[in-house]
Amino acid sequence: MNGVHDMGGTHGHGQIVVEEDEPVFHERWEGRVYGINRGARAAGLYNLDEFRHAQERLPPVQYLTSSYYQRWLAAIEALVRETRAEVRDEALPERQVEASFVPGDRVVTRNLNPSGHTRLPRYARGKRGVVESVHGPFLLPDTNAHHRSLDREPVYTVRFEARELWGDAAEPRQTVSIDLWQSYLEGSAT
Amino acid sequence: MSDDHGHHPHAPSDLEARTLALESLLVEKGLLTSEAVDAVVTSFEQDIGPLRGARAVARAWLDPDFKARLLAAPKDALTELGISEHQVEELVVVENTPAVHNVIVCTLCSCYPWAVLGLPPTWYKSAPYRSRVVIEPRAVLREMGLELPDDLDVRVWDSSADIRYLVLPERPEGTDGWDAEQLASIVTRDTMIGVAKPTVPAGVG
Amino acid sequence: MSEVDRRVADLDGLPRKNGELVFEAPWQGRAFGMAVALHELGAYDWDEFRQRLVAEIGQHADEEYYASWLDAFEQLLLQRGTLTPDEIGRRTREFSSLERTEVF
Repeated sequence: MNGVHDMGGTHGHGQIVVEEDEPVFHERWEGRVYGINRGARAAGLYNLDEFRHAQERLPPVQYLTSSYYQRWLAAIEALVRETRAEVRDEALPERQVEASFVPGDRVVTRNLNPSGHTRLPRYARGKRGVVESVHGPFLLPDTNAHHRSLDREPVYTVRFEARELWGDAAEPRQTVSIDLWQSYLEGSAT
Repeated sequence: MSDDHGHHPHAPSDLEARTLALESLLVEKGLLTSEAVDAVVTSFEQDIGPLRGARAVARAWLDPDFKARLLAAPKDALTELGISEHQVEELVVVENTPAVHNVIVCTLCSCYPWAVLGLPPTWYKSAPYRSRVVIEPRAVLREMGLELPDDLDVRVWDSSADIRYLVLPERPEGTDGWDAEQLASIVTRDTMIGVAKPTVPAGVG
Repeated sequence: MSEVDRRVADLDGLPRKNGELVFEAPWQGRAFGMAVALHELGAYDWDEFRQRLVAEIGQHADEEYYASWLDAFEQLLLQRGTLTPDEIGRRTREFSSLERTEVF
């Protein structure tokens, strides 16, 4: 979804604040949130992609003003409500597609704008890049987050020139490499 | 905390389970509060985890064959060092050279290689870094204290899938004759994310 | 806290980086914290723990430091009758099987 979580290249978030000697171990409740999440996922109440998507679906102001574990807690609460704490018993397709691309291939990302979960950042849609390496196959988050399938696809590390992503005023000699599922990509002549 | 974005939930190790059990029982019996434990830990805390990545980097600096293995098959190389709790689907190590500087981010959430770097710092998980490092990495690094020359390539890696990244920093000058432990001591978490370079403390060497 | 600082600092072999203590995993921090916190609350003298720790390390030189720490702490609790082997075994199994995921 085109939510505020998808923040690569956005402006206005301010300076990076580095807290010296910041606490490593969080507050007690955060540890419990961690434990609850692990237990819920182990029980099959929801999967990782659903969990991420639940965070993305938080109201924008809440997302942006919550701490990391506050977002987790809110996401877990939403998921427990929505699932009514019932584990779904379902038989989902588990397909696996053949790899279409090899390192060196020129690709272009699709202009996908699903309202559901995806891991194709907005800043990299309709952009041309080169396949650096092939990985996976990994569960496709776009369907796994919505319990539509357990399909797996190859994932490609694709390198984009900064100018392709940000225009001619981009910093010189810069690239961004992004890991993208096969269905996010098409072959490109250029 | 363990891996925030591992794909497979796992049962605690034996040592973890025993530790949890003891704290659970002691708290239940009113002999201890978890807050008291927190207070002790907070006062002594230091980064967890980065030591693993640091050991791998130090070994790579000392042993070119190990470095080649670390770059080609990182999880196997880490296992050689006795590091096997990987909890990640796949790890990729990217090497800094005089021609290339690498920096890691997860713009969509905060994916981070916990198994070798410990807990991610708050700034890594926060909006300013996530939004800016993909569009103006040199400016971000400058703000964070790292000035890069114009004549090198900056590669930003956005961990959007199940692959986790670790930067292998360049070995700095002034470390000749150092052993693995000394070298590991200057490899900080930030150098393995790519927002800093290892430095030799003044008066050492 | 400074009294404990000094005595903890006197312990040989505590994993350190640049002089600071290092925990490679959260459980190590918890084990460390519990042993120190319980002492601070007056449950035992520091030496009672320290001696067991030294003995453990001596007997199991290959073991990672905090595994010895955990063993020593557990033994101390058992020998003082604070906890029973049964309780510990049962509660540990509950966590291992993910039947329990919260400390309390």
